[in-house]
Amino acid sequence: MLQDDARLIDYLRARGVSRRGFLKFCAAMTSAMALPPAMLPRVVQALEKARRPSVIWLPFQECTGCTESLTRAHGATLEQLIFEAISLDYQHTLQAAAGEAAELAKHEAMQANWGEYLLVVDGSIPLGNPAFCTVAGRSSVDLLTEAAKGAKAIIAVGTCASFGGIPMANPNPTQAVPVSEIIRDKPIVNVSGCPPIPVVITAVLTQILTFGKLPELDALGRPKVFYGQSIHDRCYRRPFYERGQFAESFDDEGARKGWCLYKLGCKGPVTYNACATVKWNNGTSFPIEAGHGCIGCAEPGFWDRGGFYDAMSVAHWGTAQDIAIAAGAGIAVGATAAVLARKKQADAGRDQHHSGLAASGPIPAERNKEQT
Amino acid sequence: MNSSAHSALQDIAVRIEHSSGNIDPLLHEIRHALSLLLNVGAATCIDLKSIPLAPGEEAQIMEALGNGEARAMITSAGRSEITETRFPGVWLVSHFNEQDEIAGRFIEITSIPQILCSQTADIEDGLARLKTQLGVS
Amino acid sequence: MTLLDFARGPGFFCAFMIMIVGIVWRVSGLLMFRWRRDLSKARNPGPFTAVMGGLRTVAMRSVPPHELEKNITFQHFTGYAWHIGWFVTFLFLGAHLPFIRSILGFSWPNLPNGILLVITAITLGILLTLYIRRLFHPVLRVITDADDHISVLLTILPLITGIAAFGHWSPLGARYESVLAIHLLSVEALMVWLPFGKIFHFATGLLTRFRLGAAFIRRGVRA
Repeated sequence: MLQDDARLIDYLRARGVSRRGFLKFCAAMTSAMALPPAMLPRVVQALEKARRPSVIWLPFQECTGCTESLTRAHGATLEQLIFEAISLDYQHTLQAAAGEAAELAKHEAMQANWGEYLLVVDGSIPLGNPAFCTVAGRSSVDLLTEAAKGAKAIIAVGTCASFGGIPMANPNPTQAVPVSEIIRDKPIVNVSGCPPIPVVITAVLTQILTFGKLPELDALGRPKVFYGQSIHDRCYRRPFYERGQFAESFDDEGARKGWCLYKLGCKGPVTYNACATVKWNNGTSFPIEAGHGCIGCAEPGFWDRGGFYDAMSVAHWGTAQDIAIAAGAGIAVGATAAVLARKKQADAGRDQHHSGLAASGPIPAERNKEQT
Repeated sequence: MNSSAHSALQDIAVRIEHSSGNIDPLLHEIRHALSLLLNVGAATCIDLKSIPLAPGEEAQIMEALGNGEARAMITSAGRSEITETRFPGVWLVSHFNEQDEIAGRFIEITSIPQILCSQTADIEDGLARLKTQLGVS
Repeated sequence: MTLLDFARGPGFFCAFMIMIVGIVWRVSGLLMFRWRRDLSKARNPGPFTAVMGGLRTVAMRSVPPHELEKNITFQHFTGYAWHIGWFVTFLFLGAHLPFIRSILGFSWPNLPNGILLVITAITLGILLTLYIRRLFHPVLRVITDADDHISVLLTILPLITGIAAFGHWSPLGARYESVLAIHLLSVEALMVWLPFGKIFHFATGLLTRFRLGAAFIRRGVRA
């Protein structure tokens, strides 16, 4: 529950974090928010005044990967600090309470902070049948609409909540939709990725905590600072793409030399995320650096865009049967045209014969047309 | 858990032929910042995490900067290492979390990084504790 | 569905099918024309004479007769140059090879991008020069019809849009996905137009020359 005097800095002090520790926290958060170091004084100033916002986390049709990503046991304590710097009043995986006590705590937090709490959602919402996803006997649609009413802003964490994700993949049996299809009257930040990079999630929360407003968003509602560049534009293997040096198969000579993975299905050119700069596991590496092409997991519909190992330029030309049908149709039309042409040829031949002109060679139907 | 992530990567037989060429421009940036420090007294801070580096380049940069005379360690919510490089005025500030994983890495061109200075709030805190210990109000 | 999804998916499928229907239609239609039986005596009877004659004429008509060579040297060489450049670009760019492999089932090594970019740029330069010449040349201007304009533009567009996509240009602030989608759509437009306009000369030219050559050799004509 949110305390009355819940300023972030007081909370940190109570946990034994010195001013120096607070400055270190601010420096790390400035870097995580991808702000230039010159902004540090402003961040310090803002975080000094910041209150611990109440955060309600609602999980729907999700795999819990986003929660796992965020709260990895090896996750930076500073990231955990941000979690403690917010008042996480409801989160299934992390909370100790269960059952009715948990639901009661959620409602009390919502009432106490009505209009001010942040609503974090992961997982998509099924519209097919309310029973597909329920918590405490209530459907996810109900839970979402109710919680959204008193929220200041909604943060859709993960591709499922942002764009529908895996549940929405063809044939979408539960008729899953993203948060933005259901809630239209509240600001929504889509932090997409399957899962999103942990520090990106916390950076968005920090941004809201620090500056009290949402970050600048792109056309898909994602924070521009992390989703404004494509993987391709920041990939360290880009020089190989430019030169035309590609790995042809996994573990071949090109792959061992770290060449471009375009031919192995990398969707980097059309995927926008921070993987190539911020990287994963605290800057250790990212899929391309590990030798696997980007699967485009931060983009809508990435499951239905052709195989992960099919290069972007692979043609989806249907099947051999389709071609056979097309060829058959072609022959049918060609034969019809030929029959008509032959009839004209025959008529022309007869006319020429009657008019006594010498015929030589084939008579194309067009020449006949010109004469008449 | 192995705290040095790079050693695992170097075991894999993938050798990157081409670097992103970020090292020289960075050193030039540091050169300009040092001139600025000398002429105007203005400090500069470069966030190493904001520069996309090819694998191994961060180690190359740190090797290029080397170690100087001064070194300090701070323990507050994990350790922080502050090292003056072999170019006086150029400091490498590395923040680690309680799991000893890197949380931030900065190159500060200044006479002394701000984080080393004792902070007013902490001094006030310390004074209060000393007074309590001495039984003085 | 984004524009790129459309271009890569249903757009390509439809264009491909239309192209196949069109090519098969026109080729089969042409082959099924009535041909008057040649009743003259064959000058060089033999099992492969007709085929050899056909091939000979295809080869001979691929170069201008030396009497006309002086007048059309420029068109002759630039024409060949841009055709070769266009196909080299299509067949040897690294990014195109997975496309080719997905259709043929096999592919081949790609050329380095540095070389390819030069070839493509020269091809584009030649094409634009020839088109502008066509627009201002007193004779060419008169004999150029809509078919020619469309065919030339649909040949040039994939090159320009391809360079834009490869170089990650942003004309009018467009995103990379849009530029790539427009490149794919320009290729699809070419595929749809291919069987029905002047570009079909690749099939008709060969068929006609071959047939003509077979007829010539029967009559002892060397041409």
